[in-house]
Amino acid sequence: MDEILEQLRRDVAAATDSKQVEQVRVKYLGRKGIITTLAKNTDFSRLSSEEKRSFGQRLNALKSEAEQLLKEALEKAKAAEKDLVRKVAGLDLSLPGIDRRLGSIHPIALVQMELEEIFQGMGFRVLTGYEVELEYYNFDALNIPPDHPARDMQDTFWLDNGMLLRTHTSANQVRALETYGVPLRAIFPGRCFRNEAIDASHENTFYQLEGLLVDRDISVAHLIAVMKTLLSQVFKREVTVRLRPGFFPFVEPGFELDVQCLICGGKGCATCKQTGWIELIPCGLVHPKVLEFGRVDPNIYSGFAFGMGLTRMAMMKFGIPDIRLFNSGDIRFYEQFPAAF
Amino acid sequence: MKISLDWISDYVDINDIPVDVVADRLTMCTAEVEDVLEVRRSVAQVVVGEVIDCRDIPAAPNLKLVTVDCGTRRFQTVCGAPNVRKGLKAPFAPPGTRLANGVEIAVAEVSGHRSEGVLCSPAELGMSRWHEGLLECPPSLPNGAPLAQWIPDRDVLIEIDNKSLTHRPDLWGHYGFARELAAIFRRPLRPLPVVDLSQYDHLPTYPLTVDDYENCPCYGCIDLRVRAGVPAPLVIQRRLHALGQRTFNLMVDLTNYIMWEIGQPTHAFDGDRVHAIRVAPLGKPGTFVTLDGQERQLLPDDLLIWNEKEPVALAGVMGGLESEVTPTTTHVLLESANFKASRIRRTSVRLDLRTEAAQRFEKGQPPVNVKIGTARALQCLIDSGEPFEVLSRFTVAGDLKEAPRPLSIPWRTVDTMAGQKIPRQEAVGILRHLGFLAEEKGETLEVGIPAHRSEKDISIPADVVEEILRIYGYDRIEPRLPEGPMAALPVNVGLRKEHQARRVLAGAHGFVEVQNYVWLDDNWLAELGYQPGETLTLKNPPAQTCRRLRPVLLPNLLALVRPNRAHRDMFRIFEIGRVFRPQANDGCEERTHLAGVSFRSSGKGDQEEHFRSIRGALEDLGAVLTGQALRFVAGQDSPFPWCVPGYWVKILLGDTTVGAAGVLDPVLARVVALEGQVVWFELDLEAIQAPIYPVVHYRPLAVYPRSWQDFSLLWDVTKGFDSLEAVLSKFQHPLISEREFLYVFKGKGLPQGQASYTFRYWLAAPDHTLTGEEIEGFRTAFLSFLQENGISLR
Repeated sequence: MDEILEQLRRDVAAATDSKQVEQVRVKYLGRKGIITTLAKNTDFSRLSSEEKRSFGQRLNALKSEAEQLLKEALEKAKAAEKDLVRKVAGLDLSLPGIDRRLGSIHPIALVQMELEEIFQGMGFRVLTGYEVELEYYNFDALNIPPDHPARDMQDTFWLDNGMLLRTHTSANQVRALETYGVPLRAIFPGRCFRNEAIDASHENTFYQLEGLLVDRDISVAHLIAVMKTLLSQVFKREVTVRLRPGFFPFVEPGFELDVQCLICGGKGCATCKQTGWIELIPCGLVHPKVLEFGRVDPNIYSGFAFGMGLTRMAMMKFGIPDIRLFNSGDIRFYEQFPAAF
Repeated sequence: MKISLDWISDYVDINDIPVDVVADRLTMCTAEVEDVLEVRRSVAQVVVGEVIDCRDIPAAPNLKLVTVDCGTRRFQTVCGAPNVRKGLKAPFAPPGTRLANGVEIAVAEVSGHRSEGVLCSPAELGMSRWHEGLLECPPSLPNGAPLAQWIPDRDVLIEIDNKSLTHRPDLWGHYGFARELAAIFRRPLRPLPVVDLSQYDHLPTYPLTVDDYENCPCYGCIDLRVRAGVPAPLVIQRRLHALGQRTFNLMVDLTNYIMWEIGQPTHAFDGDRVHAIRVAPLGKPGTFVTLDGQERQLLPDDLLIWNEKEPVALAGVMGGLESEVTPTTTHVLLESANFKASRIRRTSVRLDLRTEAAQRFEKGQPPVNVKIGTARALQCLIDSGEPFEVLSRFTVAGDLKEAPRPLSIPWRTVDTMAGQKIPRQEAVGILRHLGFLAEEKGETLEVGIPAHRSEKDISIPADVVEEILRIYGYDRIEPRLPEGPMAALPVNVGLRKEHQARRVLAGAHGFVEVQNYVWLDDNWLAELGYQPGETLTLKNPPAQTCRRLRPVLLPNLLALVRPNRAHRDMFRIFEIGRVFRPQANDGCEERTHLAGVSFRSSGKGDQEEHFRSIRGALEDLGAVLTGQALRFVAGQDSPFPWCVPGYWVKILLGDTTVGAAGVLDPVLARVVALEGQVVWFELDLEAIQAPIYPVVHYRPLAVYPRSWQDFSLLWDVTKGFDSLEAVLSKFQHPLISEREFLYVFKGKGLPQGQASYTFRYWLAAPDHTLTGEEIEGFRTAFLSFLQENGISLR
């Protein structure tokens, strides 16, 4: 019997596929198989009961050993055959994808969409005004009368019909107050224009986002808190801000809001010109005259306004070194900003 | 504006405070410091020297051989300065001195003469960059005295951007900054030394009339006899040089010094050239020669200072050439006046004459400076040690507004604006440091606004609260989020459409969003052959050919094809932006448009397929924006050169035209793309009006399987797909669940002018699986419908 087992082991080892394994099974365990016939051909009557028991035990052991060997061989062969079939199919899933249809959204629009979401989450409605604006809303209603030196700060594109291309989105403040009244929380993203020479950091066409909040008893403390919350959302982390005096005729007091440099953490680096701070948002409490122009009683209501340079935010966010790229028309530039929604 | 800490130290002691702290606190409390500069002067070993002999050197016409007396010693030197002359006192650097340029002075041979040491210009001493002449010292200085007595070897300049001082006329002089620093560091401010002008009240009044108090609210002058041409004291000269101002002579330097000290421009007339002052507008167009020798074209409204009937100065901007003080002038009329800011601004901007005086007047100087300027000038004259005589009393026309302006501010306003309680004693202290009268009276803060703060600057409670808070420190205010009732936040429908369009075109159809300027270039319009008709135009365009504001987006988008085809052989771009059309009464209609352009170089499929792929994008867009199908209708003649019949379609939503799309005809395609196909579209996003959340109704899913039947129909290409669809839509049959257009085939084996349009009819019944007979019944009915309509199968 040991010889039979040895022989079986050799045959199983020689079998290369499931078909041959089956043949080996038939050879040993088939109806006329070697093990099957071994039992049949034994004359049990000539054996003592002791011998009978011993023979039977050995035969059963042989049988189950053989079955086990064949089962394992069959599994191995089948697995090998599957592998072979799969290998023939030869899929290369490391190849890059095709049929991509994703275009790109203008980087300023991307920043605008993100900021709109943040502000809407803070209860600000989003309003748009006019790019061609009346002198009244762009200047006079913002407490910038004709011949005010502040008009120097903004070289204006004038139209032949007496209107102008708005120099700032602040032009929406009084329009919004007139239309929606108070209390009001609104932002005004949009394109602005100033007649200045163009270079890597100056454009005559750029985007701002103005914000306005008017309610009872609005204070400097509110302004700081809202700006801090906003900027933490924008930069996705806690930010440190500071206010310092800044002059804009339509706010009193007026501020420049600086954010502690996110690159160096305030230690001073090239980005913040070694100051540790980056000038980011001009803001202030709305000037009582502006409220009056908006038909709001400054004795009851107060508010704050702030302006963000959307173009500048986009330059910071995407590391764009040259402002002229935004209006360059060069798709090699625009394509770098996938349509991230 | 540069602030000299040397100058500041006359009025407030802050020498113990590190310069970077001074700069930081100024930034946080007053105005942003742009830069801190150190002035290093080379004055060690330099002494006062007197030129006691000055001879020509025949071989070198530009040089003089000079003998300099330095008290204990005399030196011979060769000097090329144009102002070297006998009797001049100037700084002398003996051999061995190291000057600002780093050169050590040695004994040298110049043009054959021994030259030991040099007479110095301000630049050589490191006082400024001015090197066109020697620094002239007052004759009273003793020969040989070390120069360092009057010119210290170091100063620090703090530079502030003028733009951040627009609202603070008081900060256009050093005394204003000294007052700020005194308040910031809570230190005493020394009063400005001035003479008491009333001591001259017994003298005759100077003849003075002001015709235009609107534009000249206050005018003051005083008549003096003085040696105007002598050098000014070195303290004045060193400070003016530190600010980059050159110095001339006592009287001119004095007026500059007053201006840089208190912000008040003053002017010195040659007293022999003026006899009576009148302030009046020109009244008619004319010209005037300013002291820079330029003839200026004036308008009737321009304000002038007249000597009787002759104009002698362009008020607040620049004096006249004729009445300028010269080195020989001994009779001076000193003007200190106040002019209306907008008047000065208008004249100086128009003439592009942005003088230091004009820049200060247009910020709105307080009238009290008329008096302070005069009183300070006389004090400086006394300090100079030069003899002078006052010939007239200080004569003033108009209101000096010397009294503080009272203002009551409820303490609640202070606390409300801050958002927290501000300690009252501290607030009062801050205001007093800034020169305000301030008193706590119960629930009210009683304030007297000092005369030196202009009305434009401080007039309402908010202005005063700002003064308190900025010195108190914004960093001491605890941030607090506003509370308020929750209110519904309406959606901005217009912006939502813009963003949806971006998502569809860029997200699903591979478009790249671009942006163009809002003006059109006439040269490009001519190339396109596009005459936009009446448009809005810029008065001061960025370029002469770019005056028109765009009434449509497409021309500027088409202009991007040529530059970009260098980089890509196909691309799709779109732009969302405003377009403008003139309206009656100088109005403007502004709308938001969406336009796109798709380019393919030749060999990238046919134009029809190209157009269909863009039309597919528009159909998707229509579905997203409106929930309805946009309609595309063949376009007729149009003023737009890109709208050629057969090449373009109108786009409609219901019956409203919302845009157009098309293929550039071969002629225009060559202009725009040189070579290749261009498909375009432009939509008026505001015309697309639809519920922002379109209503969608569920249709039950089919329970029994559908069958289909395909038919390829022959149809005239010129009639087009739309007309075939119109015919087919008339065929009604209960089994039709959907008619699907599969494809069009044009080519071999078809009758002339016809194409084969293949449709798939999906057939189904709601309650059973269709039988062969039912399908055959549909087929028979459809085929006979086709026959009736003269349509044959391919």
